[in-house]
Amino acid sequence: MTLVKIMFYILSAIALASALYVAAAKNLVRSVFMFFVTLFALAGLYVLALADFVAVTQIVIYVGGILVLILFAFMLSGRETLEVIQSQKSNFINLSKLPAVLLAVMFFVVMFVALRQINVNEADWVKTAVAEGNVIKPDTVLIEHIGINLMTRYLLPFEAISILLMFALVGAAHLSRKEPQA
Amino acid sequence: MSNYLIYFLVAVGLFAFAALFALFGVYAERKISAYIQDRLGPTETGKFGTLQTFADILKMIQKELIIPAKADKWLFVLAPVIIFVAVYMGFAALPWGPGLVPSKINIGLYYVFAIISIETLGILMAGWGSNNKYSILGAMRSAAQIISYEIPAGFAIISAVMIAQSLDLQVIATQQGVASAETVKFLGFWDVTNIGGILSWNIFRAPHLIVAFVIYFIASLAEANRAPFDIPEAESELVAGFHTEYSGLGFAFVFLAEYSMMFLVSMIGVVLFLGAWNTPLPNIAGLRLADWTTGIFWGIFWVAIKSLALVGVQMWIRWTLPRLRVDQLMNLCWKVLTPLAFACILISGVWRLWLM
Repeated sequence: MTLVKIMFYILSAIALASALYVAAAKNLVRSVFMFFVTLFALAGLYVLALADFVAVTQIVIYVGGILVLILFAFMLSGRETLEVIQSQKSNFINLSKLPAVLLAVMFFVVMFVALRQINVNEADWVKTAVAEGNVIKPDTVLIEHIGINLMTRYLLPFEAISILLMFALVGAAHLSRKEPQA
Repeated sequence: MSNYLIYFLVAVGLFAFAALFALFGVYAERKISAYIQDRLGPTETGKFGTLQTFADILKMIQKELIIPAKADKWLFVLAPVIIFVAVYMGFAALPWGPGLVPSKINIGLYYVFAIISIETLGILMAGWGSNNKYSILGAMRSAAQIISYEIPAGFAIISAVMIAQSLDLQVIATQQGVASAETVKFLGFWDVTNIGGILSWNIFRAPHLIVAFVIYFIASLAEANRAPFDIPEAESELVAGFHTEYSGLGFAFVFLAEYSMMFLVSMIGVVLFLGAWNTPLPNIAGLRLADWTTGIFWGIFWVAIKSLALVGVQMWIRWTLPRLRVDQLMNLCWKVLTPLAFACILISGVWRLWLM
């Protein structure tokens, strides 16, 4: 077993265990902090897949942005609100959990079947890519490819996303504005 | 196997450096504040009080680690560790000299920027875990401040990256001196590739980067929670902010993180704008000052001197300026620094297209 494989198994184990804790824990704030561990382990998995830019972006956006905002919401909402959420009855078998369970099972079946049917290492496009040497090496500079592709091939989606974000910004500014005194 | 041994040694060495720097930094801060306020500072312990901080850390190690009864024990204990580790991991990508960088990463700058943002999470953990009003108020202020100031800091960094065309800190460093592989132009017209020295630093390659550097420096003060942006721990309002409840080693870790962060942000500023490990002395005809003073040991020396000078300025500012109010803080960030940083990005683009 190579070091990379060992790292992969350790990181996946951490990601799975912490994700389970996030889903199962009663203490909401702790589960948010545990989510941080999940995201970090995921970033490690991305690095092992040679997608270092995705890994760092994951940390910047999810850990530096979204997690902090979630925590902000928690801290502004006060203990009583949190206790109401935390003291909800949760039997192991519960009708309200049915959609989630169905979704999870169906997703699992799809993934399992897909994994059984496709032999990833034997796929045609993988073989041709390996034969042509069209593969990413650990020292490849990925950001240049990302930049060029964003400005040429994916320019339209890129601009569409930027307009969407602009909408969100304008909307947020409008919502947080003080109402004029009537 | 010896490879892994070197990795461990480098990691331990960086930790030792951070710890030593914190000790030295606290002593320097006391002496500088004493000088500014016309006092003497520590004088009793050791010659000129040099052993004062060693005595302090000995005292802290012996102290009891008090965990408040109603605190969330896990979060409370882990928070200082996360705060420190976030800063410490940032050191991994910073270049110290030609060919001398702990971890050569293609996207080193982006990595450092990401890792620093984890510190916010540690501060929020400390604030929430302490179960104390002052702590939580301090943590919230800190998070709001760091998130806001990441924006001007990020844009200032981007305007430097646009000139350098790389996110690899070692590449950015190499460009700013005689070792550069591409032509370096002083203010966009005078080829100084072989002259080097202070003339080829990024702030002189494109003069608007001086503005970007000032923006970055101000924002980095806020990110390190230093005065005049120290409202997260405003003593006069919040006792000690997010670390009110910490004692003993927990408190020591928070302090260690603060001083390491000061050095880290200064070093990023030096690498991006002030020539990294390159010498400030230019080649003057036969007097090859720049060639003589470039090398691994000179590199470490220059980078340390420049970063320490910036840390010195941070301390000077802390003991000179009064603390900003929250609204002033946000006004400064969103209405002054962010538009200026945007302007810097625009100028960088034009500069890169027409003058380089």
